[in-house]
Amino acid sequence: MDLRNTDEGTHKPSEQPLNSSLSTVRRKLVLRDTLTFLTLSLVAVALYAVTSLLFRSFESHREVLAVRWASRGELLLKNGKPDQAVTALRTSLSFAPDDRPRQMLLAAALAASNHTDEASNYFLNLWESQPGDGFINLQLARLARRKANTSQAIDYYRAAIFGSWPGDAITRRRDARLELSDFLIQTGDLASARAELLVAARNAPETVGMDIGFGDRLLQAHDPSDALLYYQKGLARDPLNLSALDKAAQLTYDTGQYAMASSLALRGARLEPATAAEKSMQAVLKTIAANSERLLDLSLAKELSPRRRTEHLLAASRIARNRIESCIATNTGNATAVPPALIALKNSWTESSPQMLRKRLEEDETAQDRLTQLIDDTEIQTASLCGPPTGDDALLLLLANRRHTAAQ
Amino acid sequence: MESPPKMTISGKDPQESGEVVQPAMREERLFLLLSIFIGIISGLLVVSFRMAIEWLSVLLLGSAPAPHQVRLLIAPTVAGIVIALLTRFVFPQVRGSGVNQTKAALYIHNGYISIKTMIGKFLLSALAIGSGHSLGPEDPSLQIGAGVASKIGRSVGLSRERLRMLAPIGAAAGLAAAFNAPISAILFVIEEVIGQWTAGVLGSIVLSAVSAVVVARWFWGAQPMFRIPSVTLRDPRELLAYAVLGVVGGVASLFFAKALGYLRPKLRSQPQWFQMMQPALAGLLVGGIGYFGLPYVMGAGYGAIDQAMHGQFAFKMLLLLAVFKIIATTLSFSSGTPGGMFAPTLFTGAMLGAAVGSFENHIFPHLTGSVGSYALVGMGVLFAAFLRAPLTSVFMVLEVSGNYSIILPVILANTIAYLISRSLQPVPIFEVFTHQDGLYLPSMEEEREDSHLRFEDALLPVSAPILQGSETVWNSMKIVRQHKEIAAAPAVLVQCKDGGWYAAKQQELEAIFAEIGDDSDHPDAGTPLEERLGTERTPLMFPDQMLSSALPYFRRWPLIPISNRAMRGALEGVLSLEDVLNRYQRQ
Repeated sequence: MDLRNTDEGTHKPSEQPLNSSLSTVRRKLVLRDTLTFLTLSLVAVALYAVTSLLFRSFESHREVLAVRWASRGELLLKNGKPDQAVTALRTSLSFAPDDRPRQMLLAAALAASNHTDEASNYFLNLWESQPGDGFINLQLARLARRKANTSQAIDYYRAAIFGSWPGDAITRRRDARLELSDFLIQTGDLASARAELLVAARNAPETVGMDIGFGDRLLQAHDPSDALLYYQKGLARDPLNLSALDKAAQLTYDTGQYAMASSLALRGARLEPATAAEKSMQAVLKTIAANSERLLDLSLAKELSPRRRTEHLLAASRIARNRIESCIATNTGNATAVPPALIALKNSWTESSPQMLRKRLEEDETAQDRLTQLIDDTEIQTASLCGPPTGDDALLLLLANRRHTAAQ
Repeated sequence: MESPPKMTISGKDPQESGEVVQPAMREERLFLLLSIFIGIISGLLVVSFRMAIEWLSVLLLGSAPAPHQVRLLIAPTVAGIVIALLTRFVFPQVRGSGVNQTKAALYIHNGYISIKTMIGKFLLSALAIGSGHSLGPEDPSLQIGAGVASKIGRSVGLSRERLRMLAPIGAAAGLAAAFNAPISAILFVIEEVIGQWTAGVLGSIVLSAVSAVVVARWFWGAQPMFRIPSVTLRDPRELLAYAVLGVVGGVASLFFAKALGYLRPKLRSQPQWFQMMQPALAGLLVGGIGYFGLPYVMGAGYGAIDQAMHGQFAFKMLLLLAVFKIIATTLSFSSGTPGGMFAPTLFTGAMLGAAVGSFENHIFPHLTGSVGSYALVGMGVLFAAFLRAPLTSVFMVLEVSGNYSIILPVILANTIAYLISRSLQPVPIFEVFTHQDGLYLPSMEEEREDSHLRFEDALLPVSAPILQGSETVWNSMKIVRQHKEIAAAPAVLVQCKDGGWYAAKQQELEAIFAEIGDDSDHPDAGTPLEERLGTERTPLMFPDQMLSSALPYFRRWPLIPISNRAMRGALEGVLSLEDVLNRYQRQ
């Protein structure tokens, strides 16, 4: 077929029939091409319509499967079957791979089924798209903690604290901070733990429960003074809160603040118990109150007036003497000889004349200290040689140990 | 620099040869428009193909295939029987992956792929992959695209040459839609099917691939095929770790290729009745692998690739999956079940990559590369080593990850794997298959490696006499008459003022000189020689050009002067037909 270009201006008479047939051919070609593309367009549209129809049905079927497997996985996770939940959630995600809540659920299921590495990897993938997500960072912190990766765990905890949280962000952030402080206590970084607790406490709602909680944690972080502060804050809010009274009394008793311990314990003991737990708490409080009162009577502290201290020393001496004698008597009955240390201690007591003692003690502070030391030595030695004491001896031993610790 | 004069073999400017311009232009325009339609229709068919696979998978294997489900054994076995019967009696041309079939259409059948083959490929591949045979949908998609192109080309009545070129255009569209990666598809078709960058086809391939991807994304969304974890390379020393992956991938690809190269001809040489049973037996064995603990190896395995990338498998599991995927794919493919090799290659690469990543992260915990990044690089590594498409493998990783920072590890690992694979297995796997099938299709890898002779390989110093074109005809004649050696030379080079050359035969000069005779007052005697020779010049050619490209010019010219690219008019040497032939004979 000759399709030579023919401009009208160059027509020669002999070429006219040829040109006319060429125009016809060209028209036919244009028509044919137009029809071809029309047909192709129709085919494409028809195919698109069919594919769209099938695709819609396909997608809805996939969605149904995804939802079904996700609910199954969620249920299994709730029922404590995380391994099966993992399979179900993976299946669900194979039908709807971009569903973020289900991805989170799968990651949580992996973590719950002790697939720590897999869970970490999964959360890390989620983290990459949302590095500021508080929940993901918290989960990663927990997983790092499980893998004993302390520094990473702390980093993720901090990211969780400063991350974004849907809903009640303040509470979630505080909980994350408290969890971090628990972790820091566990790792022995008490100073950091105290700092985190104090920051959390400042932003916490003012309730007795919160105060008690902070008090407990501060106590674990070896910060009894701040702990007591928070117990007292709680008591200021609710003076009749038995739990706060119990914890504050216990703490003051343990730290040697017997007057306060006695007062707090008596306040608690006077309350009307509502439950069995409260009854048992009150029993403890009563013991604390009684012990505190007695400890105040046996106190050999230098802060007491000379006269009062002498009275206490004389009373304590009697108790200590009785203790050493009964201890020697116990040991005399044994096949083995009385330990030389015990005999030396007994001799120390013998040297002191009871008649001269009161006068000398009232006048001589050094003598008071010496006798205090002798009482302490006696209680400590007899406790180690004759077993743990009871009654006043136990209280004297408590005071002796406290002085011994303070001196160190 | 002035562009060289446009010359054709006949010496005519193509613009002047109006007898060919009009149909060619029509076909060219049609070709481009058809490419878009091919892309759209291929894209729609590939979307349907993927849907069919997933639907069949849920239907036959259940929505959550797990070990010890009897259907894992039954579904691929029964599907194997159906596939064997249909392949034997209805669709005999659907065996294999689709890549070689498309190449055969291009080089043997003038671009012809029957509608029946296309339908058969669609149905049987979907059934095979959906029932759990360890094969992939990409290569069949490539053939489906090529089939669409072939059908459209025939319907439109394109010339044989154009029709032949439509097959790779459709192939690119099919692959692009299947992979959601247009660049990789274009490169693969150029690297593996056409073998060369042809400007005329490149535009059409790009158009069809882009159209197909637009359609695929319309349905599946624009997200990459795999959800890739972010990849960073903070310490360049980590490249050593990726180099190890390259070595592992290269060796693994050798095992994979050897297994296929051994089992496929063995099974094909069995009696017909046994060949009919092979897809079912392969299905039973693959199903057995799934039944006894590894259902991930069944089907294309994209879900498992995703899990490997996200560090969801332990080291031992990754190795098991890689090994059993190679076994399962070898069984499925060698049995003649239609389906592709791309997905199994990516699967094996991802598992090996993740395994190497897990191991290296365990031994060197300071490495920053995640398991996912190793899995991703591993995919490219096996693609480069096993399918022997190094360029495609690099771009594929970039496209499916959307992360450019992975480029260095990918290039390094892929190159190592490719070189190892080339040295240990010189014949690429697709070529092994064509030889097993008794076909001799061109190997694109070999073609790339072929050393072509260039002018500089045959070039000789200028020995022909040179005349200045600016001299008058009278003076030139006197020069020739005075110097016997010029008169004796068969050809003379005339240097023209415009920097061009004219290689004149002695007879040509003698004819001009004869016209003026001894008459110095002849009107032409004072005319410059170059003017008398006309405007035509010997084609401007340079030492780095292909030697073969000179051959057509010797019909017109006795010598071809080879010019210097930097200095216009300066000669590097000359070539005669005899020199060229001598050089070829010496090769």
